[in-house]
Amino acid sequence: MRALVIDDSRAMRRIVTGILTNLGYEVRDAGHGREALDVLDEGWVPDLATIDWNMPVMDGLQFVSAVRSNPAWRRMTMMMVTSESEHTQIVRALAAGAHEYMIKPFTADAFRDKLALLGLLPQEVAL
Amino acid sequence: MSTTDTGQRRRGSDSRPVITDLMDEDTILAVAGDAWISLVGEDEVLVPIPGEMPGDVLSSWVDVVGPWTGSVVLTTGRATAEALSRALLRESAPEVLDDEDVEDAFGEIANVVGGSIKAALPGPSGLSLPQVGHSPLVRNPADVCRVEVLWRGEPLTISVQGALPPLPVTH
Amino acid sequence: MKILIADDSRVMRQIVIRTLRQAGYDDHDIVEAEDGAEALAKVGSESPDLILSDWNMPNMTGIECLEALRAQGSSVPFGFVTSEGSAEMREKAANAGALFLIAKPFTEDTFKEHLDGVIA
Repeated sequence: MRALVIDDSRAMRRIVTGILTNLGYEVRDAGHGREALDVLDEGWVPDLATIDWNMPVMDGLQFVSAVRSNPAWRRMTMMMVTSESEHTQIVRALAAGAHEYMIKPFTADAFRDKLALLGLLPQEVAL
Repeated sequence: MSTTDTGQRRRGSDSRPVITDLMDEDTILAVAGDAWISLVGEDEVLVPIPGEMPGDVLSSWVDVVGPWTGSVVLTTGRATAEALSRALLRESAPEVLDDEDVEDAFGEIANVVGGSIKAALPGPSGLSLPQVGHSPLVRNPADVCRVEVLWRGEPLTISVQGALPPLPVTH
Repeated sequence: MKILIADDSRVMRQIVIRTLRQAGYDDHDIVEAEDGAEALAKVGSESPDLILSDWNMPNMTGIECLEALRAQGSSVPFGFVTSEGSAEMREKAANAGALFLIAKPFTEDTFKEHLDGVIA
């Protein structure tokens, strides 16, 4: 399975990439929504995108809306990764088409549980 | 694919509650009834009978984010939303209500109803500021608890609706 | 007495004022604020004897306002009038130094219950 980690913080990208790599994902990352769209435009469409809310150039909400407007990207599950203070924005992102959210800080176990719920654990880990 | 489920993966967060697991119509009616008495007026009652919604409707809602995530949405005809706003403002209601008055008053009713709904749900949860406009879409028809009432003979709905899409069906 | 009412909803400020009157507290000066930041500023400029504040407001929430007041050394009596009356919120409010928390929806009796002894 493939995942695209979208966050303007290098530290957050590393943390999430680490968790997903350990779960068996092939991971790429992007520093903001525009960069992430470029990856999708290349034809590298992941099973999962983890999306920060506040980012320069193109924020998480704009990215979610852009993805929803392209039917070719419908299969991708979009998970917002947001801090507690942004919790009132979560429903807006979900309404725009995101599928799930995680509130920072989170543990690797919490992340894994949420992916299990979504049927998004790579098979060898799921078994 | 056949796998042996050892149960090891089945932890607390392995399921996601839908609103009907947590709340019923009677709770919504009770909460809304209290809000109406306090805000709209002591003799103001909500009658749990469905009515036919007019074409021009307005919604107000607050979002709840927590173990259950979604919105508490009030929807009624624009004229009824205005009548509600007048009832809240009472003697200080202006001759002509502007949009801001209606957004404020109708939004505040959603805030009070939503705050009580939040308190009846498992927490901790956060509550958003009220919003007024077109109702948020229902993402998961199984995650909705909705009541239809009449206020002064006019229809109004209160929908407690999840913001998350259904989980994929696992085999 | 001077009472400062902080709520981002104008309608709710009016309802609070009306309920104060109905509960028999009708002989007081009322000052209004639209959010926590304005309430904080008006504590300085108006020196109210009591603050009745909403919790959820833009710019600065009620609890942030209360924390800022206490950090500045102000001990002005402070009570919440809010749509969130969970045990968790009540505990947070009490820990920050609030006298009481009135949950919306409220009645004039709720006001009397909490304000008798607070409002002279």
